[in-house]
Amino acid sequence: MSDSLGTASSAVTSRDGFRHGVQELLPAAPGIFAWGLVTGVAMVKSGLGVFEASVLSLLAYAGSAQLAALPLMMSAAPLWLIFLTATIVNLRFVVYSVMMRPQFAHLTRRRRVWLGAFLADIMFVKFSTLLQRHPEQTQRVAYFFGGASANWVIWQVSSIAGILAATAIPTSWGLELAGTLTLIALIVPLCAERPVLAGVIVAGTVSVLAHAWPLRLGLLAGILAGVIAAFLADRGGQT
Amino acid sequence: MMDPYIALAILAVTLSSFVTRSGPLLISSRLKLPAKVEAALRYAPACALAAIVVPDLLFIGAEPNVSLSNPKLLAGCAAAIIFAASRSMIATIGGGMVVFWLARAVFGV
Repeated sequence: MSDSLGTASSAVTSRDGFRHGVQELLPAAPGIFAWGLVTGVAMVKSGLGVFEASVLSLLAYAGSAQLAALPLMMSAAPLWLIFLTATIVNLRFVVYSVMMRPQFAHLTRRRRVWLGAFLADIMFVKFSTLLQRHPEQTQRVAYFFGGASANWVIWQVSSIAGILAATAIPTSWGLELAGTLTLIALIVPLCAERPVLAGVIVAGTVSVLAHAWPLRLGLLAGILAGVIAAFLADRGGQT
Repeated sequence: MMDPYIALAILAVTLSSFVTRSGPLLISSRLKLPAKVEAALRYAPACALAAIVVPDLLFIGAEPNVSLSNPKLLAGCAAAIIFAASRSMIATIGGGMVVFWLARAVFGV
């Protein structure tokens, strides 16, 4: 790439880029660790085995989708509904992935698949900030990979620590609620957008009203009603 | 041995992770999303999370409990307020759980 703007205050080699990425992620480490720990505990306390919970964490690497799929798995919901629910929660990754594409377009397919597998919320935000503030940074892929792999390691260590600790924690403490509380923390900042707030209120209400529907289809009804409400709120806000 | 249903469910969540993260990176980079689709992609995850969280907080058994005597509902409201004020995940989880335990002790449920 020839977009280097003279003074190279930022990384030059890919190793520097990797280290820079790791450094940028570290301030978020305590939050990632707490979330991973809670997700691990919540998975086991909801009824998933230690081995099953560890495999899910290592393979899926998607805290909110895991927590969303959990009640469905425990109530033996159909597999297609589990896939669909996880995918809807994961749709934000599609947005990130689409926006990252120009940055990774020069790489081989195999490398793109690998980088995509490490895509997570915090590193996406850091990476976008880097592109805006330091367009001269040439080691972007190394930077992304540094931060993203640090995120992966912190997440997996904390998640498995939570899974192992959960077996020693009495069920009567009700710690599976902590998983729900982390999802609330994810929803709150999104509600700053008015259409999202409308969608969240409608989705929550409809999913409660349709709770008795078979196969947990009330969940889908809630999501659908929520997205429609968000679009209506968006149109209302513009005129 | 892992229960076959659980094993397939784990694969389903894994497949979903793979498709949503790496999928778009494999499609031609000329493809641009229409504005409506992009908006829907932005709205849907929050709606899905709400559709999971709200029933989880309200239902204790088959009947929803929308009152202040529901410890999970109190904890959820506390968590939302704490996160809005502090932006701290640790404070949110800790504060929410404390409210839950206190409410359970008070209402004896």
